This record gives sequence, structure tokens and C-alpha cells, in this order.
Amino acid sequence: MSDDCQSPASTAARSATKVLRRRRDALRMLAGCALAGAARPTLAEAAPPTKVGTARPADAGSGPIVIVDDRGIEHRFADAPRRIVTMLPSLTETAWVLGAGARLVGVDRFSDWPDEIAGLPRLGGLEDAHIEAIAALAPDVVLASTASRAMERLEALGFRIVRLKSETHADLRRTLDLVAALLGTPAAGARAWARIEREIEAAARRVPPQMLGQRVYFEIGGGPYAAGASSFVGETIARLGLANIVEPQLGPFPKLNPEYVVRAKPDIIVGTRREQASLVRRPGWGALAAVREQRLCGFDTPQYDLLTRPGPRAGEAAALLVDCLVELAESERRRAPSSVR
Amino acid sequence: MAGAPDAVAVDTRRRRRLAGRMALAIALGIAAGLATGSAGFSPSAFWADLAGGDAGLILGQIRAPRTLGAALAGALLGLSGAISQGLFRNPLADPYLLGSASGAALGVVLVLAAASLGGAYISLSAAAWIEQAGLVTAAFVGALAGVGLTLALARGAVQTLRLLLAGVVVGVLLGAVSDLITVASPDALRGKQAFMLGSTSFLGWNALALMCVGLAVLLALARRYARALDALTLGEDSAASLGLDLSRVRLALVSMLSLGTALAVSQAGLVAFVGLVAPHLVRRSAPGPHGWLLQASAGMGAALLLGADVVARSLIAPQELPVGVVTAVLGGCYLLWLLRQRSAR
Amino acid sequence: MSALLQAEKLGVRLGGREVLTDLGLRIDAGWTALVGPNGAGKSTLLRALAGLQPPSRGRVTLQGRALRSIPPAERARSLAWLAQQGEVTGELTVRETVELGRIAHLGLLGTPGPADRAAVERAIDLTECHEWQDRRLHELSGGERQRVLLARVLATEAPLLLLDEPTTHLDAPHQVALARMFRRLARDGRQARAILSVLHDLPVALRADRLLVLARGRLCADGAPTDAAVQAALVQVFEGAIRIETDDRGAPRLSLALDDGPDDAQALR
Repeated sequence: MSDDCQSPASTAARSATKVLRRRRDALRMLAGCALAGAARPTLAEAAPPTKVGTARPADAGSGPIVIVDDRGIEHRFADAPRRIVTMLPSLTETAWVLGAGARLVGVDRFSDWPDEIAGLPRLGGLEDAHIEAIAALAPDVVLASTASRAMERLEALGFRIVRLKSETHADLRRTLDLVAALLGTPAAGARAWARIEREIEAAARRVPPQMLGQRVYFEIGGGPYAAGASSFVGETIARLGLANIVEPQLGPFPKLNPEYVVRAKPDIIVGTRREQASLVRRPGWGALAAVREQRLCGFDTPQYDLLTRPGPRAGEAAALLVDCLVELAESERRRAPSSVR
Repeated sequence: MAGAPDAVAVDTRRRRRLAGRMALAIALGIAAGLATGSAGFSPSAFWADLAGGDAGLILGQIRAPRTLGAALAGALLGLSGAISQGLFRNPLADPYLLGSASGAALGVVLVLAAASLGGAYISLSAAAWIEQAGLVTAAFVGALAGVGLTLALARGAVQTLRLLLAGVVVGVLLGAVSDLITVASPDALRGKQAFMLGSTSFLGWNALALMCVGLAVLLALARRYARALDALTLGEDSAASLGLDLSRVRLALVSMLSLGTALAVSQAGLVAFVGLVAPHLVRRSAPGPHGWLLQASAGMGAALLLGADVVARSLIAPQELPVGVVTAVLGGCYLLWLLRQRSAR
Repeated sequence: MSALLQAEKLGVRLGGREVLTDLGLRIDAGWTALVGPNGAGKSTLLRALAGLQPPSRGRVTLQGRALRSIPPAERARSLAWLAQQGEVTGELTVRETVELGRIAHLGLLGTPGPADRAAVERAIDLTECHEWQDRRLHELSGGERQRVLLARVLATEAPLLLLDEPTTHLDAPHQVALARMFRRLARDGRQARAILSVLHDLPVALRADRLLVLARGRLCADGAPTDAAVQAALVQVFEGAIRIETDDRGAPRLSLALDDGPDDAQALR
């Protein structure tokens, strides 16, 4: 289970009373992203340095690299860093996709893509990072998420920690640009993003027409927790032309009253394979059309992680979802070949 | 007989009054629970639902069983709490003392992690078998196994202190094992957390029937052993000198409280404080011998958990708070108030 | 006739230490007081006699039968024990506490009948707890609570009462009343009754029918309080802190040796 998804859900579980504050934060963050996006027309232009999450290289590949991470702290690098440690699976994938795979010297415990990083030393998770091991690797920069206490210790030891938030598509885009700038190849960010966009659009085109507009309930498990429209996977679902039974004002990962789901009568339910198998046993859920007609998408853990990870494989994740939708459409067609659907 | 009838009458009056209030609280709680849905507490929506076509589904299959289930789970916890406070002669004892909570959590973690542990740490067939057992069964078996381990460690229920210490040890050990498993398989962490915070989300009629039968059996047994708990208030040796086979009595009491806890916990998760606070509240308003205390604690527990569940469901509707969070907040406030009362005296 | 209670070569080992060594005694009808300095093993002896402490050597017999072989319920009807420290919890009233004594006859499930109610009434009368019989135990003073616990023991109507320091917390009038009650009970014609009480109150102890002097786990003296040998043993065991004189009526009078010795601090126990 990747940390990307673990932190939002468990935060919601642990401090449910902070829901209101998070809604405000989400709005603020979206606003900030919109501003940041608007204020970054071209990389060559000297953008105002105080904007959070921006990069300002003097020239691609030469001169000092200055970036401002998602905490608002400015980092100056004389050269592009050559030894990189990533403490989040999505950041590992981002670094890889931007061509910095060779520069990775260590990754976190939960990173599992691509296979080439299998040999790299594992440095723990967000909360239990192996400080000594990280220090021993002498990284030029450590990429981590904004929510991590262990990183403060490393900072005190003098290491450069670049904190990046990864919760929405906009975050991903910004992260790609930032990391690309960090690596001295600022254009690579935009390229990578463009590729992801293409993949998502390709997937969206493959969505069977009868599935468009169908209402999806994406379950995160436990509670039941749902992925709302403002979560990463929620945005992916929206890009595919599907609706979400969870309204946006409920936040990214609300813990729902099961009644809500039954009332909302989702057309498609997505979740882990194990949970999907036991849906019918939940009181009242057996009556849902989606459960009765088996319009369920159950994924094993590796694919499920991929779906919920806010990383550069979002296109692949979208394709995975669409594969399931295609299969559902197929089985429906096989069941009722004479019907118009 | 000077003064005798008055004091007795006062006691009876207090008990009757508390019983009446609890019955009222439970009735109101059930009504409120039926009226609380994904739109929060809304009697108007309730009437609309009742008339609507989905009434049987929404009200009958989801809301009614979970509301009644909250009451039953609360009753089981209240009763178990009263038994443990009598058995350990300590007003701060709660039913989770003998390793039932950590055992149940371990059971849940094993089921959640079985898929990822399979092949690597345990055989695939074992993993498949564990997964199929389901969370409820795993929690129930785990709770009983935790208590069994405590009894084995304490070499039977021969000495209360040894039992308590063994319970603490088992709690720590089993907690460590489930932490280890969640490190190996972080998948399980979220599910474990949901379990530890408690929720009535998925209580159905089957669960209800199970808890009902369990509660009936335990209440009947409680009447049998009420006098033993009264004798224990004199002290363990004094109770033994009255001819009670203390080892057998203790074993029976431990079995009762673990059955009650296991049933409640497997269905509703690790709800905090209800088992601790219910007997306290009864003792404050209408103290008495255990024949009264055990039954009243069950009633009080039912009222408490019902109320907490309604709050958990309505506060941030359509989202839900885990009911354990609400009981922990309420329980913590109560203890705080108790502390201040005591220091003010 | 076999003694009501008899100990043969009784030895008890606690925490690696020999607390009682090679004790032999018999308890018959009447009031026997067990005295001795702190740490002599009086409470341990009482608990061994009550069957609460398994002996490491020797045995205890109740009316000829080995105590260990008697089922607890039957034993409770013959033998009642009062704890030294009343560590009572819970919210029982005085009456409910005294009624607990009837568990010896009713067990866990029996319904109380007229005989049980009569026994409870008698016990409450004897200990003069009538006035506050419906108040809760924790509302009472130490002395009142002690009387209630004693009433609980009396309610069992057991012929053999083993009481560990029953006069704790009691004021002088109640100590006197208690001593009188013991004498009366022991002499009750209806049944052979034995009371064995551990007592720190030596003046009260000297009123008993028989005195057992225990020191360092061994029995030093066994006889009537008027017996000179017993009195000598008593003085010796308490290291000269007490003096016993006989008054005109032949009854022994005890006083603390407060003026003797160079060190004033030594006089107090």
C-alpha cells in the first residue's frame, strides 16, 4: 500500500473533525495551484520567486538552479543534483519518468516501480525513515512529501529536502515541472505531462459509450471510505467521463454512512478484489443493482495501488480502469445480446 | 426498625427512576437512530423514507439493524465492564483488560494482511483460509484466543493479580505482533485502524440475532453469579471463607466477560469507554448489589452507545465519525469531570 | 470426643520463611484468645486454621476430618473467618453485607427463607448495627464498619468463629460489649461454640476463657489467663513491656510498663 494513499485516508480517519479545515485547505490549494499555473507562462521568464512550488532556472543546464518547494522554502543548487533519494513512491516514479533513474541512490520502502529500482537500498517509510542509511548515501537532494516528521531531522543534519505535495492532478503537474527543473531539464516536465495527458485522453476515448456519465463509487476500504471527486483517482475518473457519487464538498476521502452509498445507487463500484467479493454480505448492499449485476471492478493490491497513487503512471491507471469498464460492457453485452444496450 | 423503611424506599425509588430514565433514553435513542441517515438527524426525511419505495431497504436493512446493534453492543460492553470491575474489585477496570482487545485486533490484522503475507510468510492455502473466515469471525476468535492466552499465562484463574499481569503482558505481546504484521503489510493498517476506532456501519440482522442471544445468555448467567461478585466485595479471602470456589467463580466470570466483549467487539469494533463508564454512571445514581448493578450496567451501556452512534452518524453527515472516537471523547470528559469533582472535595 | 478444630504439627512457609513451626493445638468450645508480638504468625495461624492457607507441613482437622478434604461449602457452614483488614469495596448496605454471611448456607442461588432472615436479624442485634442497617458501608466510620463485618461472620451461625483482630477501630465501650458478647456466645447452651480471636488488646484477651501465646511461629503457652505460667510466658514474650497483677477477685490486670527502663521510647509497643 503506497504512502500516497495511506496518508490522506488515515489522516481522515484519525482526525475526522479536521474535515472542515481540510475542505478550506483544499479550496485554498486549488486556488494556489490556479495562481501558480497562471503565473508560469514560460520557464525562461523570470517569474516572481515567492510563489510556492515554482522553479526559476537562469538557463537550462547551466548556472544555479533555484526552486521553491511546496512548503515555500527556496532551494539553491549550484548544479543539478547527481545523487537523489526519494521517500515517496510517486516521487520515485516521477524521477524515473523524467530520466533521473540513474541518479537514484535510494528509495522508500513502498516504491515498487519500475523493476529496475529493485536493487536500490530501501530507506523506510515516511514516518520511519532510516536516517543513518540516508545520511550514509550522501544524497544531494531528498524528495519527500510535505507530511513527514523524519525529514526535519535530516534537514537539521544539513541535507536538502525538497517537499512536494502530491494529492491532485494539478499537484502532479507542478511536481513534474519542479523535479524537471531540479534535474536541469525543465522542458522534460512539460513533455512528461503532455504524455500523461495523451494517455488519459486515449483511455477516455476507449470508454464504451454506454458507460459515459455512469456514477462510480470508488471505495478506499475500512469504513467505508470513498474517493471523492477532489482526490487524485477521483479526478482521473472525472477525466474518463464518469461521475462520482461523492459530492466534491465532502472532501477527498470521506468516511461515508453506508446508507449514503445505497441511496446513491452507484452504477459501478470499484475497489479491492477482496472487498468487492464481500460487498453482497453487507446489510442492504445486496439490493444494489451494481452488486446484483456484478458491475464491480475489483483490483489486486499492485493494480489498486497504481490506481490510487498520484504519480506519473496516471495514464496507465486510467487505462486500467477503462479495461475494466470495457470488460463490464462486454459481459453486459454477452448477457443481453438482443437488447439495445 | 427505625429509619429502615425510608432508606430502602429511597434505594428502590432511585433504582426505579434510573431504570425508567434508561428505558426512555434507549427508546429515544432508537427513534433518533432510525431518523438519522445520510442526511443527518432528520425526522422529516425519516417520514419521507418511510413512505418511499426504498423504505424496506434503507430503514429495514441498514438503519434499523445498526441502531439496534449499537444498543446490543453497548449492553454487552456495559455488562462486561460491570463484571470486570467486580471481579478485579477496581472501578477503573474495563472489559479489555485480559487481552481480548489486542487479540481481536490481531485477528482482524491477520485477515487483512493474509493476502500479502501468503506465499511470503505463511502458506498460500493458509492465507486463503484465513481470508475466507472474514473479519467478524477473526475478531471474535481473536478476542477469545487473547483471553485464553492470558488464562494460560496466569495458569488458570487462581490469583487475580496474576490474571491482571498476564492480561497486560498478553495485550502488549499481541499488540506487538499485529504491529509487526502491519509493517510487513501496510495494507492492513487502514483496516486495523477502522476496527480500533469502532463503527456500526455494517451491522445486519444476523449480527443482531447473534448479539441478542449472547446478551440473553450472559444476563441469565449474571444473575447466577451476582451474589459471588457481592461476596468478592468483602475481599477475596473472605469470599473464599464463605464457601465459594473462587477459582471456578473467577473462571466463570472471566469467561462471561470475554464472551460479552468478543461478541461486541467483533461486530462493532473496539469501542472505548462504554464498558468503563456504564457501571460508574449506575453506581452514581442508583448504587446497589450486583444483582441490580449488572443488569443496569447493560442498560446504561446500551443507552450510551446508542447515543454515541447517533452523534457519530449525524454530526458530519453524510460522513460518519467512528463511534469509538465519540465514546472516547465523552468518556474522557466524564473522567475529567470526575477528577475535578474529587479534587474539589 | 474430637476437638472442634485441631492442628497437628502445623508448619507454614511463606516467601521462603518458616512462619509457623511444628504447631499443635486444639480448639474446643469457649472463647480462646490468640496473642503474641507483631510478626509472631497469628494471622497466618488463623488463616491456616480457616483453610485459607495450605500448610507446608502437618494438617488441620475439623471435627476429626481433614480440613483439606472437606468441600468449601460444607466447611463454610462449620467455620467462619473475619479478615484482619476490612478491604471492602462496592456499595452494599449494612444489611446486604450481613446477608452475605448466609451464602455459607444458601450458596449462590438459594433463596433466603425465614431462618436466614432471623439469623441476619440476630447478628445485627448482637453487634448493635440496627440504627444504620440501610446505610452503605463506605459511609460508616471504621468502628461501625468493623461491627458490620463481625455481624456478617455471626450471620453464618457457624459453631467455630475465627476472628482476626475483631476489636480494631472499636472504642472502649464497644470493646467491652464485644468481650461480653464473646463470653455469652461461647457459653450459649444451644450448641458447642468456639471463638478463636487474635487480639492485640491484651486487657480484653485476659478476659477470655483460654489464652494462646504465640511467638516467632511457636506456641509458648496455652492455658487460662489466671494461670501463672501463662502470665509469665506473656510477660516474657512481650519483652517486659507489660506487667500482670492479680486483683482482689483473682482476675488478672494488665498494665504497660511505662515507667520502667532508662529509655522512655522503649515502653510503647
